[in-house]
Amino acid sequence: MRPLTEEETRVMFEKIAKYIGENLQLLVDRPDGTYCFRLHNDRVYYVSEMILKLAANISGDKLVSLGTCFGKFTKTHKFRLHVTALDYLAPYAKYKVWIKPGAEQSFLYGNHVLKSGLGRITENTSQYQGVVVYSMADVPLGFGVAAKSTQDCRKVDPMAIVVFHQADIGEYVRHEETLT
Amino acid sequence: MKPNREMKRLFVGGLGQGISEADLQNQFSRFGEVSDIEIITRKDDQGNSQKAFAYVNIKITEADLKKCMSILNKTKWKGGTLQIQLAKESFLHRLAQEREEAKAKKEKSTTGNTSLLEKIGGVDFHMKAVPGTEVPGHKNWVVSKFGRVLPVLHLKSQHKNKIMKYDPSKYCHNLKKIAENLTENIPITDLTWELEGGNDPMSKKRRGEFSDFYFPPQKMKKVQKSRGPMESKGSDSSLRINEVMESNKSTQPVTAHKKAPSSGMPSQSLLVSTSSTPTPDHVIFHTSDFEIIWNKSSMSDDDIDSEDELKMMIAKEENLQKTRHSLVNESENDPFEVVKDDFKSDIHKLHSSAKLGNDCEYDSSDTDEIIAMKKNIVKVKNSTESSQPEQPISKKSSFKKIEPSNDCVKVQKTKSNKESALGHGVKCLNPKFPPDSNVSDCEEESEEDEEYKALMKNCPRVNLTLADLEQLAGSHQKVPGKDDESDDSQNINQCIFDTNSKTPRTSYDLHNGRQCICPEDIVASLLEEEDTYSKQKPEETTLKPKFQAFKGIGSLYAKESVDKTLKETVAFNNISEHQSSLKHEDHNRIFIENGSKCANGSSSKLTSCQPAKKVNSPNHIQPPKRQFTVESQSHEVVSSTSFDKESKNPPSCLLPLKGKKSLNLGTKSHKIDCDRDTCHLPESRKASEKEGTDTSNITSFEKPRKVCLREDNQKSTASFSLSVSNASCVSAKDKHAEDNQKRLAALAVWQKAREVQKKLVHSALANLDGHQENKKTHIVFASDNESESEETPTHEQNNCPGKEVVKESVVKASGKLFDSSDDEESDSKEDSTRFNIKPQFEGRAGQKLMNLQSHFGSDERFRMDSRFLESDSEEEEKELNENKTNEDELAAEKKKTLNVVQSVLNINLNNPTSKGSVTAKKFKDIVHYDPTKHDHAIYERKQDDNEKESKARRKKKREEAEKLPEVSQDTYYNIATDLKDIFQNKDTNEKEEDLPWNEGCSGEETGDVSDAANLTSGAEQTSGFTFSFFDSDTKDIKEDTYRIEPVKRGKIVCQEDPRFQDSSSEEEEEEEEKEEEEEDVTKETDHRKPSPGEAFPEKETTRFFFFTENDDRLRGSNLFWCGVGSSISRSSWEARTSSLLLDCRKKHKEAKRKVKAN
Repeated sequence: MRPLTEEETRVMFEKIAKYIGENLQLLVDRPDGTYCFRLHNDRVYYVSEMILKLAANISGDKLVSLGTCFGKFTKTHKFRLHVTALDYLAPYAKYKVWIKPGAEQSFLYGNHVLKSGLGRITENTSQYQGVVVYSMADVPLGFGVAAKSTQDCRKVDPMAIVVFHQADIGEYVRHEETLT
Repeated sequence: MKPNREMKRLFVGGLGQGISEADLQNQFSRFGEVSDIEIITRKDDQGNSQKAFAYVNIKITEADLKKCMSILNKTKWKGGTLQIQLAKESFLHRLAQEREEAKAKKEKSTTGNTSLLEKIGGVDFHMKAVPGTEVPGHKNWVVSKFGRVLPVLHLKSQHKNKIMKYDPSKYCHNLKKIAENLTENIPITDLTWELEGGNDPMSKKRRGEFSDFYFPPQKMKKVQKSRGPMESKGSDSSLRINEVMESNKSTQPVTAHKKAPSSGMPSQSLLVSTSSTPTPDHVIFHTSDFEIIWNKSSMSDDDIDSEDELKMMIAKEENLQKTRHSLVNESENDPFEVVKDDFKSDIHKLHSSAKLGNDCEYDSSDTDEIIAMKKNIVKVKNSTESSQPEQPISKKSSFKKIEPSNDCVKVQKTKSNKESALGHGVKCLNPKFPPDSNVSDCEEESEEDEEYKALMKNCPRVNLTLADLEQLAGSHQKVPGKDDESDDSQNINQCIFDTNSKTPRTSYDLHNGRQCICPEDIVASLLEEEDTYSKQKPEETTLKPKFQAFKGIGSLYAKESVDKTLKETVAFNNISEHQSSLKHEDHNRIFIENGSKCANGSSSKLTSCQPAKKVNSPNHIQPPKRQFTVESQSHEVVSSTSFDKESKNPPSCLLPLKGKKSLNLGTKSHKIDCDRDTCHLPESRKASEKEGTDTSNITSFEKPRKVCLREDNQKSTASFSLSVSNASCVSAKDKHAEDNQKRLAALAVWQKAREVQKKLVHSALANLDGHQENKKTHIVFASDNESESEETPTHEQNNCPGKEVVKESVVKASGKLFDSSDDEESDSKEDSTRFNIKPQFEGRAGQKLMNLQSHFGSDERFRMDSRFLESDSEEEEKELNENKTNEDELAAEKKKTLNVVQSVLNINLNNPTSKGSVTAKKFKDIVHYDPTKHDHAIYERKQDDNEKESKARRKKKREEAEKLPEVSQDTYYNIATDLKDIFQNKDTNEKEEDLPWNEGCSGEETGDVSDAANLTSGAEQTSGFTFSFFDSDTKDIKEDTYRIEPVKRGKIVCQEDPRFQDSSSEEEEEEEEKEEEEEDVTKETDHRKPSPGEAFPEKETTRFFFFTENDDRLRGSNLFWCGVGSSISRSSWEARTSSLLLDCRKKHKEAKRKVKAN
C-alpha cells in the first residue's frame, strides 16, 4: 500500500476525468474529510484518512482491500476503472445515458447499449466521451463510453451501438471474486 | 368531386363500446363520402362485448385514404384504439360489381368482339372457315366446328408408346354451342326452393324454423298469469316493454308455474317468441345461488337471439303470424315436459330460491302452499295473510344458517308450523292442555313456535355459535335410537306424539340438536328460567300473557322430588292464576303426569342432548324441556331487577341460586351462545363473566355468583347422581356424569384460580396503596431476581399459573412504575448534577478515562480507574506529533494530487485556491455583525469619511482648476515650441522629479485608455482654455496644437512604453488607495495638483474632429452668450461643468473598480 506516484495519479485522473470532468476536484478536495488514493496490489483505493490509519495496522500481504477500489493499473500501466468506482462517478457524472427498462438487463449482462435501448442521453455528448449509465429510474447501472455523439445517436438505426460497455453493476455478481 | 374517387371498404377495428354509426359517419365523412357503415360487435358467453369493429364503405381518393390512415390509424377514440385497414369489398358489393362487369362485357362482346381481341393483341380464334382447315401461319392449329381454332394434340396412347395425333376438327361434331347468358340474373330466392309441408314440427324444422325452442311454455304461462289476456294483444312495442318487465320478474315465477295449469294463448305466444323468453327457462333450473348469474347469462343469450329473431320477425311478421301462432301452441306443449323434469329435480332448491325471491307475497304464499301440500300438516291452517309477513323473517334466519337445502326444507317445515301457530295465536294454547293426542300436537306446534321465536332472536345475533352448538350437540348426542326419528320428517314425530307425550320432546330435542337448532332450546330454557322467576314476582305477571306456552316443568319434578315440584307448581299456579289460572293448572297437572310417567328418560335425554340444559338443570333442578315463546327483551330488564329481590330473600335454598343464575341468564339472554359455552369451558366462562361485569348488577354480585356457581355445580352433581339412580339408559348417563364431573372439576379449579387472582389483585392494590411504607418491597421488585423469587411463591399459591402470570406482570409493572417514581424523587437532587462533568473526567486524560470506562459497562469490577489511564504526556505529544505529521503528509499529498488534477484538467493553479478563498469569504460573510464588538469594525464601511475626503479633494481640485490657467499658458508655449524642446522638457522633468510621470500618465490616459480620464484632464483643459479663449489668437493656437499632437503622441508612446504601463497601473493603485487609504489619497491629490498643470499642453493636443463632451470648441458658445451677460452665464456654466466633471470622475472610478473586480 503506497500513495500513487505522480504519473500514476495523472493516468488515473485522466481516466476519471473522462467521466466526471472538473468534478474530480471534489473527490480530491473534499470538505467532509481527507480522502486519498492508495495503491495496493495494483489497485487504486480511495480511502478516507481514518480508514487509512486503521489499515496501516495490517500488513500489506494480508490486506485485501481498503476503502473503495476505483480500479486497477494494468501491466501496461494503464488505468482501468472498476464498477466499484461507480458510487463516486455517478453523482458527479457530466454525461449521462439513461437506458430503457427493457435494455437494462442486457446492459447488466455486459452488453453494449443499443440505440433501441437508449432512453435518454445528455445533450452535447461527444463521441468516445465517458458516460455513466442510468436506468430510467435514475439508478446508476454502470458506465461506458459513448460510441456515438448525441447528434449521431439521432440518426443511427436502432440496432447500432450507442454506448460501449465498460462496467456495470452486474459485475458485482459476475465478477464477484475479482472485485475488491 | 375528384375523378379518381373509388369506393373503398375500410375495416375499422378497436372501436369503443358506445360508438354508433353516426359517430363513425362523422369521423370518416371528412375524408370521403361514407355510403355504408356496418358495426359488428363480438361478445363472449356472458354477453360482455369483447370487441367491436366496423366496416365502412367510403368513396375516397387515394390521397385521402392515406391521410385518413395516417390521421386515424392507431389513435385513441372513445375508449378504443382505432385500427384502420383496407378491407375486402363486401361480397354483395362485389357480386353486384361482377354482374355489372359481366353485363358490360357482354355488351362489349356483342358489339365489338374482334376489336377487343385486337386491342389485347391476341389472335382471333374464330375463323370463318371450313372445319378442318389449318390455320395459316400456325402449325398444328386447325379450325374446328363453329369456326373456333383448336390445337392439334399429340397424345401418348395409354398403354403403348405410340403417340397419337388428335385433331379436334375430326371430332368437332361432338361439340355443342351453349348460348352464353351470364348476365341473366337469377334471384337468390330462386336458387332455393321451398319445402312444402304442414304445421307439424318436422316440416317446420325442414323449413328452418326452430324458433319454438326459444320459447319455453312456462314463460307462456307466466305471461298469462301475470298479465291478462288483454295485454297480450297489444302492439309490438308495448309487448316488448312487457317482456322486459317480465324478464325482471322472471325470478318469481318458479313456484307459480308448478301449480299453474298450462294454458296456451295464441295471442301471447307471439309476444313470448319475440321477447327475451328464455329467462323463465333458466329460472326453472335456478338454484338459489346461481340465480343471478343465470339471469345474466340468459339475458345475454336473449340479446343475441332476440336480435336476430326480431329482425326476422319484423320483416316477416305479417306473413308468418299465423304460422307463428301455431308454432307457439306446439311449443308450449313440448318444452313443458322438459321443464317438468327439471322441476322435479329442483324441488329442494326451490325453497332456497324462494327465500331469495324478492316478491315476498308471491313466493311465500306459494312456498307455503307447497310446503303445506308436501308435509300434509293437517292441523296447520294458515291464513296466508298471517304467514306472509312472517315468512321473510324466517327466510332470513334460515339464510343466515347457511344450511344445506335439506335442512332448509326441514326448517321451513317447522317454520311453516310456527307461522301457523303464531297465526292462530292463543288458539293453539288451549288445545295443548288436554293431555290427549291433541296435546302432543299442540305441543309440537308450540315447540315449533318457540323454536321459531328463538330462531328469530338468535339468528341475527348468533351465527357462528350455531355451528359450535351443532358440534356440541353432536358430541353429546348419546341417545342412540332416536337419531333416526330426528332425521325423519315431523310426521313421524307426530306419530310418536300420539303414542307417547314425552317422546316428541326428546325426539324434538334430538331433532334440534341435529338441525343445529339447539340454541333455540337453550334460549327457550333461559327464557324459561326467567319466566319462572318472573312468575314468582307479581310484577312480571303482567308480562306473562305474552308467553304463549308454558309447558315444561314436569320432567324436572320427576327427577328431583315430587315435593319440590309441588312447591314450584304451587308457586307457579299462584302466579299463573293471576294471568290465566286454568292454563297453568292444567299445565302443571300435565307435567306432573308426564313426569311420573317417563320423566326420567326424557330428562336424561335432555341432559345428554344439550349441555346448555345441564347448566340450567343444576340451577333449577329442572330439566328445561318446556319452552316458552317469550319475548326476552322485555323480560330481561324485569328479571334483572327481580334478581336483586330474589337474591335478598332466599326462602328456599333454590331461590338464591336461581336468582343468581337468572342474573347471568338475564344479562346474557342476548348472548346465549356465550352462556352455552360457559357451561363447558372455563375460558368461555371468563368471557361470560367479563360480559357480566359490564352490567353493574353482576359486578356487585360477582362473588356470590361464584359461590352460586359452585353450588350449582354441586347441585348438578347431585342431580346427576339422582339421575344416575334413576337412569333408564345408564350408559349415557354415566358418560355424561363423567363429563360433567370433569367439567365441574375444571370449574372448581378455575374458581380457585379466580379467587387467588382476586387475592393477588387485592394484595397488589394494598401494596400499591401502602407503597410508601414498604419501600423495601418495591426495591425488591425492581431487581429482577428477587421479583422472580417473589413471583414463584405467588405461583405456588395459585394453582393456575397461566392466568396468574398476567396479573403478576400487571402487578409488577405497577410496582415498577411506582418504583421509578420513587427513584425520580430521590434522584431529583442528582438530576441537577447529572450533567456536570465529574471531576475525574475533566481534562483530556479524564476524557480518555471516560472513554475507557464507557467500554466496560457499569460493572464495578471492570471499572477503569485512573490507574489504567496511560497518562503519559510524552506519548500524547508523540501521538499528536504523529497526527500532525500524518496530516501534513496527507496535506502535502493532497496538494500534489491537486496539482495533478489541475494539470489534468488544464485548470490554472490559482483556481482551487481562489475557490477556497471564495468559500472562505463566504463563510466570513456569514459572520453576524455585532456593532458592539471591536473586531467587527472591520466590517464597517467608512463611506462618510471617503465622501468627506472626496469633497475636500474636489474643492482642492476646483481650486487647482482655477489656478491652472497661468500654468497652462506656460505649457502652451512649451508645446508650441519645438518637439525637441518638448522631449527635452519631458526628459528633464522625469529626471528631475517623481512628479512628472504623472503628466505622462495622464496624457497617455487621455490618449488611449479611457474617455473618462480624458474628461478629467479635459476639464482641466477647458478650465485652462477658457482663459486662453479670450485671447485674440485662439484659433492659431488651436491649429498649432492640432498639428503638433500626433507627433507628440507617437513619441511619447515609443519613448515611455514601460512607463506608461507603470503609470496606468499606478493610476489604478492610486484610485484604490484613494478609496481605502486617506493619507495616500491626500498625497495623490498633492501629486495631482501639479500634474494637470503640466499635462495641460498635452491635453490640448487631444482633440478630435467630432465634438466630445465638454469639448473646448463648444466653449465657443460662451462667445454667443457673452454679448448678453457673459459673466453670469459663464459663472453658472463653470459651476455646472465642475459638477459635471465630478460626476464623470465618480462614474469613471466606479467603472474602473468594476472592471478590476471582474
